[in-house]
Amino acid sequence: MRIATKRCAGRSALDRLQMSGALRALFPRAPAPQAILVNTAGGLTGGDRIAIAASAGAGSRLVLTTQSAERIYRAAHGCARVRTQLRVAAGASLDWLPQETILFDGSALDRALRVDLAPDARFLMVEPVVFGRAAMGERVLRADVRDRIEVRRGGRPLWLDAIRLEGAVAARLDRPALAQGGAAMAALLYVAPDAAARLGPVRALLPATGGASLLAPDVLALRLVAADGFGLRAHLVPVLEGLCRDGLPRSWRL
Amino acid sequence: MRRGTAPAPMPTDPRLLTLAQWLSPAYPTGAFAWSHGLEAAIAAGWVRDAGGLGDWLADLLAEGSGRAEAVWIGLGFRAADGRALRAVDARARAWAPAAERLREADRQGAAFAAVTRAVWGIDLPDCLLPVALGRAARLMAMDPGDVAALHLQGFAANLVAAAQRLMPLGQTAAQAVLARLAPLCLAAADLARAPDEAALFSNAFLSDVAAMRHETLQARLFQS
Repeated sequence: MRIATKRCAGRSALDRLQMSGALRALFPRAPAPQAILVNTAGGLTGGDRIAIAASAGAGSRLVLTTQSAERIYRAAHGCARVRTQLRVAAGASLDWLPQETILFDGSALDRALRVDLAPDARFLMVEPVVFGRAAMGERVLRADVRDRIEVRRGGRPLWLDAIRLEGAVAARLDRPALAQGGAAMAALLYVAPDAAARLGPVRALLPATGGASLLAPDVLALRLVAADGFGLRAHLVPVLEGLCRDGLPRSWRL
Repeated sequence: MRRGTAPAPMPTDPRLLTLAQWLSPAYPTGAFAWSHGLEAAIAAGWVRDAGGLGDWLADLLAEGSGRAEAVWIGLGFRAADGRALRAVDARARAWAPAAERLREADRQGAAFAAVTRAVWGIDLPDCLLPVALGRAARLMAMDPGDVAALHLQGFAANLVAAAQRLMPLGQTAAQAVLARLAPLCLAAADLARAPDEAALFSNAFLSDVAAMRHETLQARLFQS
């Protein structure tokens, strides 16, 4: 999947779109180009491969989200491999707002997100991860998850994050410094000139298991742990509503 | 350390004393001022007693910031020149999950580098603490694994001492907590001997949250 936008006659417009495999993109009417990614296979399992490359060209805007949560099913062998590359050019803005990744018992996921920002680019990303669907009585006892995020700005490292949970995941998540039994978590990064002004309002929306911090005058990082996907969303949606320039994509509300 | 029934008499390696000096609580890095988010975790009721403290610190050493520090020591040690070292330091800074966590490693690293430069005359630039320790180990031909094991024990000892100021915890119980963490300090040391940034991770989500929430904690004894 490749998606690119450019600035054209004073507006952001789709510049390029290439699709292959089970991944499709929908483009609803929105103030800025918005791509809703749809995995027509309905989930990922061992051996599946997904590659996404998206870029917002100079001065343009692009919002990426997903139609629904992505399910990572039990893997008989191998792991689901997801590679995402985002580029945000000078004066451009990109929002990476996938809905939850739901890990099922016995799932294996190897995921990497790489982001390259121009020095004055704006960027918002969230990565919500849920271990099992608690409301359906599901618990992820075992899984193998490797999830890395690398954000660079002007070629220099800006924010690195990596999670590696393998084996008895439920027991690990019970640990005090991990999640105290929480089965849902999210990392969020907001890079924009008004990040410092957003810190206070964002903090006011967080529960005791969430925190936000200003890593640089224009870089806000947030981490949130919740008992389940429902609780995670309850806190995440108001935060995202405040940070999305054009409001939270509609697919998040369905 | 070698084990044997009849150890050959060997003179003590002077580098052992240098390392003990660097990682002593008396070395002026100001470690005592930082709680690494523990103050917020205790305020939140996440850490209440010796058992809870031991579990919290075990998480940091096994799969949190402590484990990652061992990797950064190894990467700092492996950097072949100043340019490679600056690249490692830039990545270590991007790894910091919260502003106070970054400040904690930045201030201690700068203090460590300044004193160590002045006393031993080595070319040690200001870096985050684990990166500076790795660089210093290379310049003094020390084993990065030894440096990481002693550093992590010192890191844990500093947090145990912080906990003694923040909650009821007797001296003997505090030392028992620290002694039980020794295997984790040793395990992390192997990461410093064969560092691989691809193996870097942290699962200590609530420790990171605690570091963030410390910024708005009322009545703080510590700077992180």
